[in-house]
Formats: sequence, structure tokens, C-alpha cells
Amino acid sequence: MECAFARRTTRWTLQIVVALVFAQILCGPMSVALADQTQADPAGTATGDRSSAADAAGNPFVVPAPTDPSAPDYPKLKKDYDEFQAQAAREPLALKLADDVGHTRIATNFSWTLLTGYLVLFMQAGFALLTVGLVRKKNAGHLMMLNFAAYVFAFLAYYAIGYAFQFGAVAVNTAPANLGGAPTLNHFLIGSGQWGFLGGKGFFLSGPAYDASSNCLTLFEVVFMETAGYIIVGAICERITFWAFLLCELFIGGILYPISGCWAWGGGWLSQLGSSMHLGHGYVDFAGSSVVHSIGGFCAMALAIILGPRLGKYGADGKPRAFPASNIVFVVSGTFILLFGWMGFNPGSTLGATDLRISVVAVNTNLAAVAGSAAAMLLWYFMFGKPDITMACNGMLAGLVAITAPCAFVSPNSAVVIGVLAGVLVCLGVLFNERVLKIDDPCGAISVHGYCGWFGAVAVGIFADGTYGAGWNGVGAAAYLGKAGQGVTGLLHGDFTQFWVQLGGATLLAVYALGFTYIVFSLVNAWRSMRVTREVELSGLDVPEFGMLAYPEDAVEMLGPGSQAAQQRGA
Amino acid sequence: MKRIDAVIRPSQLDEVKLRVTALGVTGLTVSEVRGFGRQKGHTETYRGSEYTVDFLPKIFVSIAVVEELVDPVVDAILEGARTGVIGDGKIFVTSLDEVIRIRTGERGPGAI
Repeated sequence: MECAFARRTTRWTLQIVVALVFAQILCGPMSVALADQTQADPAGTATGDRSSAADAAGNPFVVPAPTDPSAPDYPKLKKDYDEFQAQAAREPLALKLADDVGHTRIATNFSWTLLTGYLVLFMQAGFALLTVGLVRKKNAGHLMMLNFAAYVFAFLAYYAIGYAFQFGAVAVNTAPANLGGAPTLNHFLIGSGQWGFLGGKGFFLSGPAYDASSNCLTLFEVVFMETAGYIIVGAICERITFWAFLLCELFIGGILYPISGCWAWGGGWLSQLGSSMHLGHGYVDFAGSSVVHSIGGFCAMALAIILGPRLGKYGADGKPRAFPASNIVFVVSGTFILLFGWMGFNPGSTLGATDLRISVVAVNTNLAAVAGSAAAMLLWYFMFGKPDITMACNGMLAGLVAITAPCAFVSPNSAVVIGVLAGVLVCLGVLFNERVLKIDDPCGAISVHGYCGWFGAVAVGIFADGTYGAGWNGVGAAAYLGKAGQGVTGLLHGDFTQFWVQLGGATLLAVYALGFTYIVFSLVNAWRSMRVTREVELSGLDVPEFGMLAYPEDAVEMLGPGSQAAQQRGA
Repeated sequence: MKRIDAVIRPSQLDEVKLRVTALGVTGLTVSEVRGFGRQKGHTETYRGSEYTVDFLPKIFVSIAVVEELVDPVVDAILEGARTGVIGDGKIFVTSLDEVIRIRTGERGPGAI
């Protein structure tokens, strides 16, 4: 006994030493960040001034001083600048008014971004209901705890390192101007300029990230990361141990998601391929078909492969067996909650209510959802003679996932086409996983989020019609494809390079999530099995893992002494 | 004394209960059961995988009666539970040695 105690103490000491070394490594970038000259604005009073005032087309009120005297249009810019300065000197009241307009503009955008962030947060409840309805009752408590712990632990990992990795350099190339620009997040840990690979400021949300503009972005982005975090639950439930699941969540929130997120959204190299390699507008993913959903979906795929199918899922003849859903009511209500939350996910991704494209985004998102659901219902009707309720819900989610990347860049007609294609893809994907690859995915997470996420990102390169996104990722602010105001354009509207960068980028992200997760968790699984024992799996994971059942009154032993009924009698 | 057990369709329980109680039967015990007879189960698909529903939900009705009531009760059950479609169920009649009312300790036909 004493010997075991000594061993445990030694192990704890070693673990603490490792943690301290890790913290030390993090302190390097933190001190770099703290020494920076740009001041953070935690109070929010200095965020949004005359430099944020702009007209409806986004033309700024303030004319900036020209910096490059050798530029061909230097004399014109210089003249504009001088005129602005003279006018400003004549009318100081106008400048004060512009400060107020700028601040109000940023405040409007803050409200929008935070409120839509809360909607996305509510999707957590939708996912929990959807997945708990699709699994067997004996694992319901375990599954709810997975959904719950996903939020808790992935959030902490994202707070500690994830946010800094993803957005630590966002101001370098893709400053969120709608939110005041977060100017203090301006340092790549790995890479620089247009070839950034990892952000490097804002660890533990302190120093440069202790800033109103940055924190608005944090709230909105952390709930997106959480979406990727709980996508995996749908594919690994009913057999994973809780400790292994916590490792998965720390890995997603701190490492996997932020790295690729930096490439596509944090001003990293994928987003800058338009400026650096003249490939369209760089990699464009409006609200995260690939950045969020396919990362989550393919991470789930790797984990499901490592864990293997649930006991009894495949018979001796290799044919898949059905484990019917335990509560269809939860499945459908969960799907509706997700649809509602998606009204924050996509329109909120403008990061601003002053960007009036939000109405188009909202309509497109809904259209793709209903089109996807209709396609899945009818296809199943045709293939199996009866529409499957759970597949109808998966079809709606597939449409939502697929429209997430292109929602701002396509017309409503294209949204319907994208939704229908996603609804078909998700059905085929579920059957393909189950019958050909023999990967056991109880809730269809791999097909819904992985395959349809990949497809959604590619769909930008096909269907984008050029009406929105002029100057996206710093490309074509003045004119694109020889036309002023031309935005992100796809294959069908004449920009082949956009298609190739979408196809390549989406595939790269899928391979990255699948490969990286597979390598890391194969090692973990080799060290200690991530799967519960056979006995635990057969009896249900609720009691062995957490000591309580989700539905205790279903169990006969609860009627005996010590039961609620016995206690009420005073026994 | 006889005991009459009937396995019937859940949807027919009300019909059976109305007819049986009208005959003056005072007690009736039902349980939700699952099983199959000659009908066997049927096959459904869930997310593309087939599964068989072998054990269909039925209601098991158990009634204790005095000899004179056996035939009227059986007829009442037949009338209430029959739909004419396969899967209507079965009636079993067995003899009953003793009936005891727990509250009073009373025995025999008076305890029914």
C-alpha cells in the first residue's frame, strides 16, 4: 500500500514537472506578446472611432496617407489625402461625429456577433438531443456527459492555447474590420507575412488578447471550435472511455482545430494563396464547412477507425446490423434546434450586422437545409420503400453543413442545388461507411460533417457568382476578372483558379484532420486501450463510467431497498 | 374455478375489458408482453441496415372466474379481440386449485 502510494507520488511529481516545462515553452511567445507596442483595449472605449466609419459600400470616411511615393497613382492619392486633411481642419465637429458613427458601427457589429455566437452555443443542446436520441438507452447518460464535457474541456484548451494558435496573427492579413480589427493580434509563431502557419499571440487570453475587439472574436470563434469538438461524439459514442474522450477534446480544442483554423481563417497561408500564388481569392470558407465541419468529421472518422465498431454491429457474415434509435422525438427536436442555431452560425459569420448580405446568407442557409432534407427523404423512399426519419434529419444537417462555406457567395437557386446534392451525398456516405468501409458511425457524423463539409467547400469554387466578397482575403479590392466590385467567383461563373484552390484546400484539410488524429490517437491507443471492456460495453456505459443511469426507474434493482420509493416510505 | 389467460392485440384491450366487465367479472390483470406465434415477425430497415421485429407487442390478460362464467367470458374475449387478421392472439383456459384474498385470508370462489 505504501509502495503504491510512493509510486503514485513520484508519477504525479513527474507529471507536474512536464506541465511546468510545457508552461515555460508557452511563456516565450507570451513575453514576446507582452512587449508589443500596440496597446490592447480591455475597456472597449477606444475600439471603433472615425477610422471605422464607412458608407454602405464600405468606403472609409478617413482617407489614409499614401505610403509609397513610387506608385503610379501616388499624386492622386496625395491630393485626396491633402483635401481630406484640409476639410477635417475646417470642420472639427465632423470628425467628432465620425468618431461616434464609427463607434456605433462597431457596437452594432458587436451585438450581432455576440448574439449569433449565443445561437451557435445553443447548438450544443441540439447536438446532445440528436445524438442521445440515436443511441441505445443504456448509454444515454454516458453520451450526455460526453456532450457536456466536450464543451467544458475543449473550451479550456482553446482558452489556453487554441485561440492564440488560430487567431494570434489575424491582424496581419485578415483583420476583422467589422469588430475593430483586433490590431494587437499580429504575430505568427511559425511563418510570417503571407506564409503564416501558426498564430502566436493571446495565450490564456491575456496581454494582447485581453481586448474588447479580440474577446468579441473569441466568444464567436470558441463556439465554432466547440461544434467541431462535439461532432466527434456522434461517431465514437457507446464505446469510448471517458479519459480518452477528454484527451480527444483537449487535442481538438488546443491543437487540431486551431492549426488548420489559422491557415484558413487566421490570415494563414491557405487564405493568402490568392495574394501569394494568384489562385482566386485564396482558400475561401465563409462559415466553416471545412474549417469546422470536415475537420470534426474526419477527426471522428479517424477515431471511429481506431475504436472499431460496437459489439454486435457486424454479424459473423460481415453484414451490418441495425441498432435502432431510442428516441426519435429527441432526434427531430435536436435537429430543429441545430437549424435554429445555424441561423447564428452562417449569418453571424459576417461578424457584423452592417454587412447586409446577412439576409441572403440566412435565406440560403434555410433553403439548403430544406432541400437537403427533401432529397434525403425522397431518396430513401425510393431506395428502401419508406423514408427514414433519422436520415431525413441527417439530410437537413447535410444541407446545412454543405451551405456553410458557400452561403454568402451563391444565389438562392444554387443553395437549393447544393442542398439537394448534399442530401444525396449524405445518404450514399452513410451506406458507404456502413457497408463498404465498415466504419461504425452511430449518428452519421462522418458522412454529415466530413463528406458534406468537404463538398461544401468545393461548392464555393463551383457556384460562387461573384456578387459578394470583393477584396476577400485581400484580393481584387479594386477590380477582379477585369470588373470592379467582382467578388468570389466559381467555375460556373468563369474563375477556374478558385475551383482548384477550393478542391485542393478542402482535400488537404480532410487529409490533415484524418491523418493527424489517426497518428496521435493510434499512439494513445497503443499505450492504453481507449475502448471500454467487453463487459462494460454490453451492460451499458452509464454505471461503469459514471455510477448512475440516465433512466434509473427503468432498472428493476431501483425498486428494491434504497430506491426512491423505499426512501419515501421511510425504509 | 378456472383461470382464463388471453394474449390479444394491444388495440383490442378496451373492447375486451368492456365486454368482460359487463358479464360481472370483478377482477382482471393485464401485462404488456412480447412474443410471436404462427405470424412470426417482420423485417424493417433502419439507416440502411435490416432488422427483424421477432417479438411483437401484445397484451396478456389474466382472469380468474367461477365455472359458470367460463364460457360467457371466453365468448366475450373472442368477440372483443377478433379482427380476423393474422395475429389476433390466443386464449388459454386452465383449472385453478385455490384463490386466496390477501387482506382477509378468505379462500375459495368467494375470494375471486
